[in-house]
Amino acid sequence: MNGSRKHTLSRRDLLMTSAVLGAGAAFGGLMPPTSALAQAKTLDMWWWGEQELPGLQAYVDSSIAAYEDATVKSMLQDTAVVISQFQTAAAAGNAPDVQYLWNGIYHMESVWLGYLRGLKGLVKDDVIAASNPTMLSRFGGDIYRLGWYPLPMFWCYNKKLFEQAGLDPDSPPATWEALLAACEKLKSAGIEPLGGGIQDGYWSEWYISHALTQNLDTLGEAVELFIGDKNFRDPKYHDHWKRLEELKARGFLNKDMSSLELYPGIDLVVAGKLAIGQTIGTRLPADSKATGGQIGYMVMPVFGKGKLAGAPIVDVQGLGISSNAEDPQAAAAFLEYLQSPERLKAFWEATAWLPSNTTFDSSVIQDASVRGMWENWGLKPNISNVTNLMPGQFYERAAIPTGQQIVQGSMTGEQAGELAAQVAKEWRDFNPDMVENYRKWAVDLSAPT
Amino acid sequence: MNPSSRLTPYLYVLPLVMLLAFVFGYPLVRIFEFSFKMVRGIDGPWIGLRNYELVLSQSLFWESVLHNLQLLLAIPAMVVISLLVSILLYERIAGWKIYRVIVFVPFVLAVPIIAVVMKRMFQFSGPVNEVLRWLSLDFLALDWIGSSDVALWTVMILIIWRESALGIILFLARLLGLDESMIEAAKLEGASWWQRVWYVILPQMRGVIEFFVVVSVITMLAAVFAYIYVMGGGRGGPGTSTVVVELYIFNALIRTSLPGIASAASVLLFVVSIGLIFLLFRVRRRANEQEA
Repeated sequence: MNGSRKHTLSRRDLLMTSAVLGAGAAFGGLMPPTSALAQAKTLDMWWWGEQELPGLQAYVDSSIAAYEDATVKSMLQDTAVVISQFQTAAAAGNAPDVQYLWNGIYHMESVWLGYLRGLKGLVKDDVIAASNPTMLSRFGGDIYRLGWYPLPMFWCYNKKLFEQAGLDPDSPPATWEALLAACEKLKSAGIEPLGGGIQDGYWSEWYISHALTQNLDTLGEAVELFIGDKNFRDPKYHDHWKRLEELKARGFLNKDMSSLELYPGIDLVVAGKLAIGQTIGTRLPADSKATGGQIGYMVMPVFGKGKLAGAPIVDVQGLGISSNAEDPQAAAAFLEYLQSPERLKAFWEATAWLPSNTTFDSSVIQDASVRGMWENWGLKPNISNVTNLMPGQFYERAAIPTGQQIVQGSMTGEQAGELAAQVAKEWRDFNPDMVENYRKWAVDLSAPT
Repeated sequence: MNPSSRLTPYLYVLPLVMLLAFVFGYPLVRIFEFSFKMVRGIDGPWIGLRNYELVLSQSLFWESVLHNLQLLLAIPAMVVISLLVSILLYERIAGWKIYRVIVFVPFVLAVPIIAVVMKRMFQFSGPVNEVLRWLSLDFLALDWIGSSDVALWTVMILIIWRESALGIILFLARLLGLDESMIEAAKLEGASWWQRVWYVILPQMRGVIEFFVVVSVITMLAAVFAYIYVMGGGRGGPGTSTVVVELYIFNALIRTSLPGIASAASVLLFVVSIGLIFLLFRVRRRANEQEA
């Protein structure tokens, strides 16, 4: 050897090099990335709604892009898994920070399971109130959602057909007797008076939304029907099904109602083939435009004696914060940002629909029908959708089948009440643990607004 | 043979067995476990046989079972139609190759697609009733999917139409493999068409017919969800007139948040299906033994 050392990599060198590289990698992994140093907060948001409100995706994307206080990662959920996906993730401790929430029982079960945070103290009170999360988001004195966009529910009618039948298109029937008289006139004029499509069951649900409430004093009273403190066998609580039976018996319902689905049924009103139907606010801009403003709207004619009779119904889709959120303040700040005037305007521009916020500047609404509906349904006192209080079992076993069977003439209103009472009892047998939660919820729902 | 060589084949299949055990076995075990629990979210307390008691005491469950049993009535119709069409094709009627493709098309199309089309056709104001009214057959213009009395039969028509396609192809494949000399011999002996079918063709097709019946029984009990879901408005309607056990399970799991109930019903369906399959194969084995 001449002193020139042949440099080969020994096992010792290899181990040392590996150790240094490994330590460096580990240290680097522990250090936040340089981009994250500038914007440390990251939020996950799971949402739904593009399915019923095209344009919402664009709005979510633009909101996230413009938000500077955190990086928000959004995921559009499939309709079938909105609840189960969230609950499974929450049980595993991996729920998103911000979660889309349907109203009523569709999010209240997650509240009872401890998967959602109360928003009081997290989100400013005035922001919560302006967003109209509705009474159905209250539990134990707290509130669990922020309203995102409203779904006014109303009866629609075709003004042209009203004129053809000699009815005043600007003065739709306000009482049950007036409705029957109007239907008689329409029928005499050869026009199918009322109905839509009930094959998929939703018409049945909407009918209950409008009609059951007519004999209720509070939404909590509906909960009492499910927990057994009140009974559907009481004529007061199945009166609405008897009214439907009356419409059927008098031949006022469209003949193909049982074989049509909900939206094709509403299309009949728009197409001038049916005079009166049930619809939802998100359809109004397009339907009004398609008919040149010939679609009128009204609350269901009043027959009941409850305090809620005749009140406009507004359901509201919302957003909440999961219990897994590591930085709930950051999530709350993002929700407040979505309620800012600039974002409300962006919502309207992206979806051509209203955001749920009473401070929304409605001067941008061009269509008179849409503006009128917003002013009467959105800004004036309204009630939430009572069917969102229904346990799923009751909804599937009683709410949907009763309407379908009455419309096809195979069930009376009284039989519907009997079935509803049986199913309510069955639900209590299947869900003894839920009954107590519902009982507590009834307290919140019966409280003054 | 030493012990290690005896074990070798089992070692070869072990990875696949383990994979299958994980994919099918684990969920099965969990379903059995859930059926004894009141599951909320992803777990819950043990409640013994309570879920089974609730399921078995619910009228809707038995109504669903009855609907599944009613669907079994479609099987004889499917067998007869499949046999007739396949024999006609076998006899090479003019254009039989084109017909063969056409009759199999329904089976290639996804159930939801054909069910949606069929649903449109059978609406009260749909094309079927329009044609019937045009033919002055107004009394036959029923509310096919809107009436509780008729809806399940309408679904059955769709099932017969689609599932028969499988029978036709299976039967035709078997027919094409028959020894034609026997049929020719029967012809020369003066056997009529019916006699050739009854005494020569059908005895040779017994195996494939039995197979088709077994597959169809399983289909009617545990694979009609897509038909029912689309035709019954997603809910087994109108009312509950088309609810089957699969939809009952789906509703319990997805719509009413009762995984325990869904699991109990699934276990019952699983046990009944396994029992029926076992019974059918046993009958077949006995028949084979008698033949031998």
